[in-house]
Amino acid sequence: MSTQLPHQLLPGAKEVPFAEIEGTLSRLVQDGRRRSRAPARSLTATVVVVGEPARLVSAADALAQLGEAGGVRTILISQGDQPSPTALVTEHSIAIAGLAPRYIDNAVASLRLSSLPALVWWRGGSIEALDDVAGLADRLVLDTESPDETWARAQTFLEETAVTDLRWARLTRWRALLAHLFDLPRVREAVASFNRLSIDAADVPAARLFAGWLQTSLRWPSSNQISIRRVSADGKSPLERVQLEGDRLTITLHVPSTRTCLHASVGGEDGMARVVPLGDGALTALIGEELGIRTRDLAFERALGAARELSVS
Amino acid sequence: MSDAPGSGSNPLLDGLRIEPTPDPTTLVIFGASGDLTRRKLLPALYQLSRGQRLPARFSVIGVARSEMNDDEFRRQFHDSLKEFAGVEKADEVSGTLVRGLSYLFGEMDDPALYARLARTLQESHAPDGVLFYLAIPPTVYGKVVEQLGAAGLTRPSTPTGWRRVIVEKPFGTDLDSARALNAVLHQHLEESQIFRIDHYLGKETVQNLLVFRFANGMFEPVWNRRYIDHVQITAAETVGVERRAAYYEQAGALRDMVQNHLMQLLSLIAMEPPITFSAENVRDRKLDALLSIQPLLEDGAKTNVIRAQYSPGWVNGSEVPGYREEQGVSATSVTETYVALRAQLDSWRWAGVPFYIRTGKRLAKRTTEIAIQFRRPPLHIFKRVSPTPIASNLLVVNVQPDEGISVRFEAKLPGSRMQLAPVMMNFRYGSAFGSAVPEAYETLLLDAMLGDPTLFARHDFVEASWALITPVHEAWRTSGPAAIPMYEAGEWSPREADAMMAADGRRWRTL
Ligand SMILES: NC(=O)c1ccc[n+]([C@@H]2O[C@H](COP(=O)([O-])OP(=O)(O)OC[C@H]3O[C@@H](n4cnc5c(N)ncnc54)[C@H](OP(=O)(O)O)[C@@H]3O)[C@@H](O)[C@H]2O)c1
Repeated sequence: MSTQLPHQLLPGAKEVPFAEIEGTLSRLVQDGRRRSRAPARSLTATVVVVGEPARLVSAADALAQLGEAGGVRTILISQGDQPSPTALVTEHSIAIAGLAPRYIDNAVASLRLSSLPALVWWRGGSIEALDDVAGLADRLVLDTESPDETWARAQTFLEETAVTDLRWARLTRWRALLAHLFDLPRVREAVASFNRLSIDAADVPAARLFAGWLQTSLRWPSSNQISIRRVSADGKSPLERVQLEGDRLTITLHVPSTRTCLHASVGGEDGMARVVPLGDGALTALIGEELGIRTRDLAFERALGAARELSVS
Repeated sequence: MSDAPGSGSNPLLDGLRIEPTPDPTTLVIFGASGDLTRRKLLPALYQLSRGQRLPARFSVIGVARSEMNDDEFRRQFHDSLKEFAGVEKADEVSGTLVRGLSYLFGEMDDPALYARLARTLQESHAPDGVLFYLAIPPTVYGKVVEQLGAAGLTRPSTPTGWRRVIVEKPFGTDLDSARALNAVLHQHLEESQIFRIDHYLGKETVQNLLVFRFANGMFEPVWNRRYIDHVQITAAETVGVERRAAYYEQAGALRDMVQNHLMQLLSLIAMEPPITFSAENVRDRKLDALLSIQPLLEDGAKTNVIRAQYSPGWVNGSEVPGYREEQGVSATSVTETYVALRAQLDSWRWAGVPFYIRTGKRLAKRTTEIAIQFRRPPLHIFKRVSPTPIASNLLVVNVQPDEGISVRFEAKLPGSRMQLAPVMMNFRYGSAFGSAVPEAYETLLLDAMLGDPTLFARHDFVEASWALITPVHEAWRTSGPAAIPMYEAGEWSPREADAMMAADGRRWRTL
């Protein structure tokens, strides 16, 4: 694993020994304030990102935008084998390269803002460190490309830490649109008859979460048919098409060719069609949304349990 | 046996991150050709739809006298989004919304219009949740509600249906007219169906006042006469009457700002803790606070309430005319464009703590804030080493333009000497949470669709507020035209308002 942090991670950052991070931060804050003459900001949370250096760059970018608009301290950590590596420091961010997994929790404990919530954004790395940082997090947001291992581990500490997966935030619009359709009397009457679900998805784990959510919300028996097909897409949406069928009604949700919205139809009737914006899928928006949530998400936890059981051919 | 959920509740709503959406709704806007509809209501609907806050079944019927067909109304919708919501080109969201838009025209007192409205609601299989929005001149509110009642439109036709009415401001012009309007509304509607709008209550900081006071243990214990010296509520505008001269000439600052918005702010600051955060508990406690205000004329109108009018001057670097030279204003007008008043609350918590209110047009700066000034410490132990008098602690709630809360306290200046200086600690919605603050009309429209009246004015509050204000108007009406003092546009206040404060040994805050 690389222990070098890419140069563009924190533009203009100062490189300092680990022990000098806190002192450097407060000096930078004071200097910044003197320069801009802006009043002190209200701080709201610490966001800790753990992942490969390459995945830290996009996270840093997203958080930089969030940091400008909101009072967040960011700590970016890539794993390696050093107990006390040097760090890059800017006014609101710290990046530490090559930190040994067993020291990650110590680093987080010493650098997080006291008395305010800490959100850990897990973008991959040694699973051993996950348990430790989860213990320090008020909220743990999983965001790995192949999530099975982290999902399995996360299920063991759901009682202690509020856990979610960033895919779940990407599914919000899809879930909300389907839920709205369930307000229609025709759909409500057909709820018990739905028994087939097919999903075309660019992100199969997201499709599994979506299917797990429907399965648990509608209390489906295991005999109901769920099929998930991998398709390639432009990455704007985790899913491309969802079809929920029963003997009485079919509901279809899909992303049309404009790629900016989500289209739903019920039983092919035009009068029952509905279009909503796809929503802001940028990392900044997603992590910003996560920061606004402080409680356990039982619907996610149930969906996670069901998604882990789903196998995709 | 299958344990699949039945057709009762929506099984997919549980844990959904999107906040609650209303039941299927038809919004009927009376006054759909008007300024408020274009400027606020249509953009708010668009934003709500973008945020997926509108129900799956949602439609809008616009009603006004101007002749228009559905397509013209739909074009007006797009134009309004362009002008007031920055939506240059129609997008999927506006496209979906626009399909649910239709328009009816007719005279507001013509029963045939309401028969057509009833038919349209029935034929379109529109949802039986119907929200009527009265975006029409106040003189027509009563007429429309009477006609709605006569046409049977104020009662839902199904057990799950509902009918609600949003009434715009101003609600009456004095106590008698407010009572009369309430009586007409109550003839046809239950109080729970009536949503009297005060857009100040839709502002984020105003809602945050309740959270600030009642979700924090450290403020409430000092929120009383033992620790608070006085409260200043300011709503200052830099603009003049603009296009609203006809209305403003009749209204004036006392009716336009104090009776509604500023009394609401005062009651939120002064109220006792409600036992739950329910609409009725919150509104009961606000009403108590309002009822505890002593009559404003008790000591003679001259000292408790000051009115004034702006004369020509300079605002934000531009020369501006005086009020009497504005288009549509009488050259001998005595309408007040500025009011300052001192309210004394006759309550255990607030006895002896004055609440000062000031509002005006063409003042130096646009700002609305509530400043709570605490008492000084009983002893100035630093007097010998730091002879400057210490500044009182201050808690400032900024309502606009920069929503947030600030606290001022004394700190030691760095250095070997013991010197004191006041410092300000700021919380700003814009920079702390990083998310956009919703427009007041979005919040209020949504709450009305959800049937939550917490942020709307109840009949008794409106009447109690008019009961305070009306005698002042009466006194002014009889005092003759020469009595109105002037202030130069761009200044902070007339001399008389400063004198009112000086008589109490206090000063207006410099903003
Ligand atoms: N505009 C704002 O920003 C604002 C802010 C706060 C409160 N309000 C309140 O909102 C309401 C509407 O204000 P507005 O600014 O939209 O007024 P407006 O532009 O004058 O529009 C009023 C609407 O009512 C209709 N109307 C006018 N006179 C009428 C009459 N005698 N009988 C029946 N209908 C009549 C008008 O259209 P037709 O001529 O086609 O019928 C128009 O659709 C007022 O009560 C106002 O106090 C407005």
